[in-house]
Amino acid sequence: MISIRLFFISIFFLFLSNFSLAAKVTLDSSGWGLEEGKSCVECHSKSSSGLTHQWRNSAHAQANVNCLDCHQAYEDDNDAIEHEGHVIATIVSPKDCGRCHEVEYKQQKGSVHVKAVSFLKNNMPLLAQHFGGLAGNNSGCAKCHGSEVKMRGDGTLDPATWPNTGIGRINPDGSKGSCSACHGRHQFSKAQAREPSACTHCHTGIESPDKAVYETSKHGMLYAAHRDEMNLKSDQWVVGKDYSAAPTCVTCHMGTAGKMKSNHDVGMRDAWNLNSPVSEKQYLIIFQDGDKRELSTTEALPRRGETIKKLDGTEAKVKMVASPKRRRQAMMKSCLECHSKGFTKNSMQQFDDFVELYNDKYGKPAKAIMQALYDNNLLTPLAFDEPIEHTYWALWHNEGTRARHGAAMGSANMAWWEGMHEVATNFYGKFLPQVKELAGKKGDEIIKEHILESEYHEWLNRTQEATNVLGFTKESNDEN
Amino acid sequence: MMKIDHFLPAFITRHVLFALIFGGVLGVGFILFLIEFDHYTSTEEFCTSCHSMELAAEPYRNSTHYNPRSGVRADCGDCHVSEGVLAATWDHFMGSKDLYKQLFGHDYDDPVINALHLPEAAFDARKWFKKRNSATCKKCHVKEAINGERPDTLQIHMEDAKDKTCIECHYNLVHRKIPDEKTFKRDKWNAMIEEEFDLEKGTAKKLLEQ
Repeated sequence: MISIRLFFISIFFLFLSNFSLAAKVTLDSSGWGLEEGKSCVECHSKSSSGLTHQWRNSAHAQANVNCLDCHQAYEDDNDAIEHEGHVIATIVSPKDCGRCHEVEYKQQKGSVHVKAVSFLKNNMPLLAQHFGGLAGNNSGCAKCHGSEVKMRGDGTLDPATWPNTGIGRINPDGSKGSCSACHGRHQFSKAQAREPSACTHCHTGIESPDKAVYETSKHGMLYAAHRDEMNLKSDQWVVGKDYSAAPTCVTCHMGTAGKMKSNHDVGMRDAWNLNSPVSEKQYLIIFQDGDKRELSTTEALPRRGETIKKLDGTEAKVKMVASPKRRRQAMMKSCLECHSKGFTKNSMQQFDDFVELYNDKYGKPAKAIMQALYDNNLLTPLAFDEPIEHTYWALWHNEGTRARHGAAMGSANMAWWEGMHEVATNFYGKFLPQVKELAGKKGDEIIKEHILESEYHEWLNRTQEATNVLGFTKESNDEN
Repeated sequence: MMKIDHFLPAFITRHVLFALIFGGVLGVGFILFLIEFDHYTSTEEFCTSCHSMELAAEPYRNSTHYNPRSGVRADCGDCHVSEGVLAATWDHFMGSKDLYKQLFGHDYDDPVINALHLPEAAFDARKWFKKRNSATCKKCHVKEAINGERPDTLQIHMEDAKDKTCIECHYNLVHRKIPDEKTFKRDKWNAMIEEEFDLEKGTAKKLLEQ
């Protein structure tokens, strides 16, 4: 029954996702080009000529969209300031952009990207505060995740929170997100946003190693060789029609593919959560108020109309649910523009198998062992005050994430040498010895229960079996 | 012995003459007194003899008007008192309402009370500058001679700010930053002061109503 329901919901979801990404603004052009805003550039050409130079080369300038069209504010607005006789706001929020770019605003509004600040708050308070502190958070975490911009009573923006173009920024007008996270101001070039660097600006390094993954994948290889054939400046940018040299992040994660139109909800086509100790497939819950959230398939599937918690803690009614299968199908639609069905299916199979292997061999046992250590009071509840907690963190967060992202996007090196090989080295060479050291006899019991009896690790029992991987065979041992 | 009334009209009697000389000397003395008075009462030393003014002076001492590289320090009166003995006297006369308020008004010596009432004082001061076409700024600053660090600074002043007076753009230079009156939000200002002085929410409103 559930699968039939999901099928219909999926069809509906497909229909809904049929927005055009690079939607042409269809509003009447009398809605912009404010008369009072025409003179801004005269002064700004002198005071900040780089900025106006960028604007002059933008599609905005061509369409007569001037400074005030985006920066205008009303006196009552939370972030309104007086500037040379005009009431303006420094920050142009997605809500402001959405005055013209309605479709994109609607799409990004419920996306995983705009949850980036609450994700940080809910999951990483210790990292942000204890590892970093306020200044560390402001220059690190918040630069990608976004800050909660504070407009002070004296009309200045709190320097701890601004400047910031983090993707989940909480704006003074209450809206979430930052268009300029990907669309660098003030040119807002289409070509720039289609470049992988628009994403890898943040999706790089241990937390989200996608820059290295993409660059060492076949897709990245082709992109580097054929960048000049990518037709990046084209008005419309549909794979197979306007370009085919290589896919970028945009192509697969938000681009148009066949009948599936592009979408600014970038995480929509992701079936797995790859940034957790154990990967789980995720439902996408769409609420009646337009907001969305993910929910692990290990949890009860909410019914349509049911009221459940949103990520911000408030409750809302479920409008529909997209299954991981449907999300995967959406992703595969973009693959199919260049690859055959069989090729695509098998590639996804290899990816799924890899994630499941990681889960079963390392993710789940490591998590269970840690749980046993906490349950037996062998660790304090506080995270990161004991060495093994750092080891565990590196295992799934740094190495495990790299491995899974590597498998997802076809980087052999990241999947294996920089990924699962690192996980294994850590697991056998550091994590398990630390368990023994910390827990003594209890540690041996825990390891026996979770590791030595597992088919993945039973090789540890065969201590007399010699291989030549380290250059020592049984014969060479006997000779000595 | 010659008599004075041989040289003077008849109505200038000895008494009148005496009164004229006495009055003249007194008048000159009075003008000199006013000049000296205006001069002295325009100094930081005098202004901050009221404790509440010390709170306005704090940010001033961290500003470039107090510490310019050139060493040309603008004193309180250089900006806030008009030029010319009559105008200066008038400004000081009007300014005496500050003294009245200091003595009989709110407890402006209290940093919280002071900060809560500061915006209105700033709005008044800005209007004062605007009304006088930023005359006191112009005693030192000549539009045609503003050669900033950026090559375009002079051009901006000559072209884009042609019809503007200094204060329209250059406010929040010396004292505590306060938004323009148009975008000022009392509740946000109160909240900021409460946070700054670690006060309970709503305290500011109560203090203002007192």
